[in-house]
Amino acid sequence: MSARPQTMKVEELLQRTTWDVDPRPHIKVDTGKCAGCPTRACVVMCPAGCYTEVEGSIVFSYEGCLECGTCRIVCPMDAIEWNYPLSGRGVQYRTS
Amino acid sequence: MRFDVVIVGAGPAGAAAAYSAARDGLKVLVLERGRGAGSKQVYGGKVYSYYLERVFGDLKGAPVERWVRKERLSIADSGGRCATLEYEGRESSAFTAYLTKLTGWMMDRAIEAGATFVDEVRVDSILRDGSGRISGVEAGGESVEAGVVIDAEGVNRLLLEGLGLAERTRTTNVALGVKEVIRIGEKEIDARFGLEPGEGLSWIMMGGFTGGLPGGAFLYTNKDTVSLGLVLYVDAAARSLKEPVHSLIEGLRAHDALRRYWTDGDVVEYSAKLTPESGYRYLPRKLVADGLMVVGDAAGMLLNLGYTFRGVDYAVYSGHLAGKAAVGARERGAGEGVLRELYEEPLRRSRAFRDLERLRGVERVMSAGDRYFAGYPEIAGKALDGIFNLEEATPSIYEAVMGSMRGSDVSLVRMLLDGLEAVRSI
Repeated sequence: MSARPQTMKVEELLQRTTWDVDPRPHIKVDTGKCAGCPTRACVVMCPAGCYTEVEGSIVFSYEGCLECGTCRIVCPMDAIEWNYPLSGRGVQYRTS
Repeated sequence: MRFDVVIVGAGPAGAAAAYSAARDGLKVLVLERGRGAGSKQVYGGKVYSYYLERVFGDLKGAPVERWVRKERLSIADSGGRCATLEYEGRESSAFTAYLTKLTGWMMDRAIEAGATFVDEVRVDSILRDGSGRISGVEAGGESVEAGVVIDAEGVNRLLLEGLGLAERTRTTNVALGVKEVIRIGEKEIDARFGLEPGEGLSWIMMGGFTGGLPGGAFLYTNKDTVSLGLVLYVDAAARSLKEPVHSLIEGLRAHDALRRYWTDGDVVEYSAKLTPESGYRYLPRKLVADGLMVVGDAAGMLLNLGYTFRGVDYAVYSGHLAGKAAVGARERGAGEGVLRELYEEPLRRSRAFRDLERLRGVERVMSAGDRYFAGYPEIAGKALDGIFNLEEATPSIYEAVMGSMRGSDVSLVRMLLDGLEAVRSI
């Protein structure tokens, strides 16, 4: 049996990918709406871990966004104003 | 500014549309939100070559990584017991590639054919004139007029939704793919997967590999890397996932049956993409409107059978048909009726589309839920253990299967009914 490889936390995993982060956020989240959310599916479903729960509230950061669109689909509260980054910014895939 | 054709998105569908329209002399503009063509492209890792060769002629110079010669299909239970079927063909009908590079190659072909390519432009809306006809696109406050617009925006149909031509995407209609590219080395890949130089492996995995969730896992060998990924049906995953998707894919990399292949491997890229779960159910309300054609993922042109996935080649073919239709529409006007006759009808008559329609039952089986992704893999794992892992007693296959069903909540009758249903639809 080979040694179990160290699994990476999402922060480390995201460092393997290249970004040109736009200072203008391409996604806006009205986290006020998250208080009444029955699912909080964004927290487990965002592959970049952009949505986290901190002391019961949802905290969102757009910087590591992989631009997949999953959060837009799973949010039951219509709290996410979703679009792609402007001017070629955002994730820069090379070998995907 | 006015073009015969404005294409939104330089993915496989958009690039093929541009190539086919420009080759016949149309004035074509492709608008792409990314930097260069390909920088926003993600897929699993394998492309069937048939439609690409049909559209682009030969694939000389295409950034092929390996031609697939070996196929594996594995089912694991939650304890890591794993059953694998391996097939080695004599011919190869598919290759592995990075879509980032393959899309760049397709777009270069379109540019050589005369298409104009403008990147780093995000199209904000598709414009309608006073009569309701699609007349062009708008990006950053500037508009471009078009004889016909080809929407190749991808799976997130922001523009089509804006036009009211697609309903808001539901969780039941899409799957989330996440992927890691792991660098291992060319010789190491040949040796570890038993491949000759240039030959590739395509490996589909189910059951325990996804933590029993509906969906599957995949591995494709590139020249010196492998693409390892997970595809999860969004509705089921959103309701039952207890850990984040990114820890699930890391768990897959560390899986007992897999980690031996890349103990010294380095993850060089991590990516994610939504994909139609079933193309047929992801059809937009309309494939054509006055002045508009929809192609690729946006048109639901993706076949997902759980063991076979065709997205890039179907996208290319739909783009090609739309590009050809644009040529005919220049003479006859790009009204809805003309575009239906020149694009939608040929598309619906194509083998690709008829397969999407015909095989939609398989996708229904695949979404039957837990039994296929958790229950049956457990039974299969136990049964094979009963057959191969012997002490004093030697059970027959029948005894091993019956023994494996003890303690399972699936009855023999249920299993036979599911089996019949699966065979009938597959």
